[in-house]
Amino acid sequence: MKPITLATYLIKSLALLTVVTLSGCEGIFKSVYDEPESEPQSTTDGHLYIDASNWQEWHYIDLRSVAEHVATYTDFNPSSLWETIEIPTLGIPEEFFERNNEKAGLYTYWYDVFGEGISNQEFIGFTPTEPQPEPDQWTFAVHRNNVRTNGCLVAETEFSSLSQIPDDSNWVSTLVFTPDEWNQTEVWTVQDRMLNGIIGNQGIYINKVLSGWLKMLIPPMPPLYEINCHVFVLKLTDGSFAALQLEDYMNSSGTKCCLSINYKYPL
Amino acid sequence: MMLLFIYSFAQDTGQTDSCDWDVLNLNEIVVTGTRVPKLLKDTPVQTSLITSKDIERSDATDIQGLLQTELPGVEFSYAMNQQVHLNFGGFGGQSLLFLVDGERMAGETLDDVDFSRIDMNNVERIEIVRGASSALYGSNACGGIINIITKGATKKCELNLDVRFSRHENRRYMLSLGNSFKHIQNSLSVTASRMNSYTVHNAPEAEAPVVNTIFGHKTLNVREHLIWEPFIGLKFSGRAGFYMRELPREIKAPDRYRSYNGGLKGEWDFGFNDRLEFSYTFDQYDKSQYNGFSGLDIRNYSNVQNSIRALYNHTFADGSMLTVGLDYMRDYLMNTKLTGSKKTQDCGDGFVQYDWKASNRLEVVGTLRYDYFSDGRISRVTPKISARYRLTSRLNIRTAYGIGFRTPTLKEKYYEFDMAGIWIVKGNAELNPETAHNFNFSVDYTVSHYNITGTAYYNHTKNKITTGLPYYLNDNTSQLYLNYENLADFNSCGVEITAQGAWRNGISAKLSYALIYEQNSRNKEDKEANSQFMPARPHSLTARVGWDRSFSGNYSMAIDLSGRFLSAVSNRDYKDYYDLSKGMVSVRYPAYTLLKLSVSQSFLGKVRLTIALDNLLNYRPKYYYLNAPLTEGINFIMGATLTL
Repeated sequence: MKPITLATYLIKSLALLTVVTLSGCEGIFKSVYDEPESEPQSTTDGHLYIDASNWQEWHYIDLRSVAEHVATYTDFNPSSLWETIEIPTLGIPEEFFERNNEKAGLYTYWYDVFGEGISNQEFIGFTPTEPQPEPDQWTFAVHRNNVRTNGCLVAETEFSSLSQIPDDSNWVSTLVFTPDEWNQTEVWTVQDRMLNGIIGNQGIYINKVLSGWLKMLIPPMPPLYEINCHVFVLKLTDGSFAALQLEDYMNSSGTKCCLSINYKYPL
Repeated sequence: MMLLFIYSFAQDTGQTDSCDWDVLNLNEIVVTGTRVPKLLKDTPVQTSLITSKDIERSDATDIQGLLQTELPGVEFSYAMNQQVHLNFGGFGGQSLLFLVDGERMAGETLDDVDFSRIDMNNVERIEIVRGASSALYGSNACGGIINIITKGATKKCELNLDVRFSRHENRRYMLSLGNSFKHIQNSLSVTASRMNSYTVHNAPEAEAPVVNTIFGHKTLNVREHLIWEPFIGLKFSGRAGFYMRELPREIKAPDRYRSYNGGLKGEWDFGFNDRLEFSYTFDQYDKSQYNGFSGLDIRNYSNVQNSIRALYNHTFADGSMLTVGLDYMRDYLMNTKLTGSKKTQDCGDGFVQYDWKASNRLEVVGTLRYDYFSDGRISRVTPKISARYRLTSRLNIRTAYGIGFRTPTLKEKYYEFDMAGIWIVKGNAELNPETAHNFNFSVDYTVSHYNITGTAYYNHTKNKITTGLPYYLNDNTSQLYLNYENLADFNSCGVEITAQGAWRNGISAKLSYALIYEQNSRNKEDKEANSQFMPARPHSLTARVGWDRSFSGNYSMAIDLSGRFLSAVSNRDYKDYYDLSKGMVSVRYPAYTLLKLSVSQSFLGKVRLTIALDNLLNYRPKYYYLNAPLTEGINFIMGATLTL
């Protein structure tokens, strides 16, 4: 091969490489990946979606209202009925608000988040606030991985799908129901000292059984989320029953505590 | 070790006064220091070499294990989410240039490349050049170059199968297949590995963050390499690779890391003294999170580097050499945590190097390079001069001065990331490039079967880029911010001494010690600044003794004992990140020693069985700090290799 021929070949090769370079400058195999979906992910009957990732918000839903709307409007989006209410964080004089000696307010704890984990904790201080505002009618509310109910009782079943629920409602009599209970260490609300392991928690009644559908585990750090996909049964104050199941806790972008919930009401 | 030396003297009856360059690996060829092939004993740029035999004997399954075993002053530590960070001689991953066959690796996490991408199945040797080398390699080559040289296409037909098992269901399967035709050689290698997550237990009241869960992984590495030599003097090669690692931080939502890479290269030796190289390299590194519920795999990071290079060498009659190079790289970054999400930068450079063989004793290499970066229109001129003087046939003196620089990355300029509400890390488009002035001096002495090398270096760094002090914006005390910024000048220096011996009776020994001094960092307002990474340990030592012997053509055996010692180190950290006026506190991280014993037996030259005991002293950290070895005690390792 003559050198001049080779030089021409190399120049052509270089030109080809330049074309390849420019065409591949934003990468290849884009089809391997999916595009994030717009929220809410699903709006069908029997399915609720809520972005509960905000630390300072409770999101309330009234299953009776949802059932009525679904029956009335064929194209109704059940997720539109969430009502979002901020958690009060402004300190107030202590003497005004007391409830069963369990004071509404922010309970500040130190957690060993970078060491043994959050089971190693120490109470630091208390700031009284107004009680958590609530809608007139609601069934349950979610805040990140926490759930509270409006006087409901909750039981966990062994079912992993709502379709497994028997048609005969007598089976619920075998369940052991648990009411909400006072808690001042798990509704993490104020995180502006988190690097020091200091968290402000809302003192409030939550349902520990239903909150068990999504556990936040520390260690490790960053936290690990553990989902429990069992079906949970709620016994409402009017004696009716509802079934809830947490299907997913992330949105398509990977944000945690964006809850996809399957529901059935009434049973 | 002393006993071994004495024993070896006694055994080695045939010793002569001449140096055994081959046994000491000093006749190996290295390319990193000058970008042209040189014998290790002759290169004017001080280079450390980890040979394929060292790799085999170290029994290391990953690059972290290998570098920590072979080199003092190397330490891999972790971030809270177990991203890996390298510290080498006081320089962090952001100031070290990790190359694979001379090419940069795309992608970073906490400024370090993804070390898992380096498949040990595919490594021929590793060349390490300390000190600033930006004059040859451009940005990031402030503290040194670690160049992974991969195995070339084989010239014979060979099938190699390797399996390996150890604790925590750690399994690795490797296959390499090589074949050769008249003008074409081809090699294919596939490595698959996995390890389960496990939990470690810390004593109460740790003084600093600790690790509790060690996450496992599933990794796949595939590489194809094809060479076509139409006639002597002309060679074309192509390569392609795929890498994927899955890290199950959340069982239902694992993090995924992928890389697609490839390249074409043409090498032409024309005339008797000229050589021309053209190459194109593509490297893409992606991060995504897979949602096991929705089945969606959403990409949140992609770095794509397209590079074109041209390199010309002319060798003069006296052996001196002129090298001229031109490089262009298009750097694309997509990161959902980046302002604007996508950024692109064009990088171009040209360099010239003259390697002057002044005499049989003196060789001087001077390099000058110009770099241009389109983002911010940054340009830099960097020189480097290196010299080797052969005082006697056994004694070499090498010295070098060079400037290293690191331009702020697109991430450091445009990042905006809310770190779990702790603080918002913000990029800074006004950052200046980091510059390092590096002086290097080394002496190596070789006699008979012994070689001793001493290296000293001093480094003066200006405008080091790192995250600065946390602050509140407009007195809003509910949200902390952390900006990237340039620090004030600081100094670091170190000494490294390596003594090694190797004898033809199969015994070899190597002992290396490194001393590192780092000045505490201060910001431009002369306030003490903490580092987001662990500091270098001031004293470290690596040692290895081995014996291998072939009893007949059908059976051979090798025994190796290797270890490393890392001294304690203290790190300065803020007492309270929300009130910096409380000052800093010193946290002490303990020293540790790890030993590894491996025994390897080879049958018929085709089957090799290896058993190893890692962490022979059964060391268990009281606290698994971010720079503690993630060991739970003695680890039994078993492996088998079949070669056909």
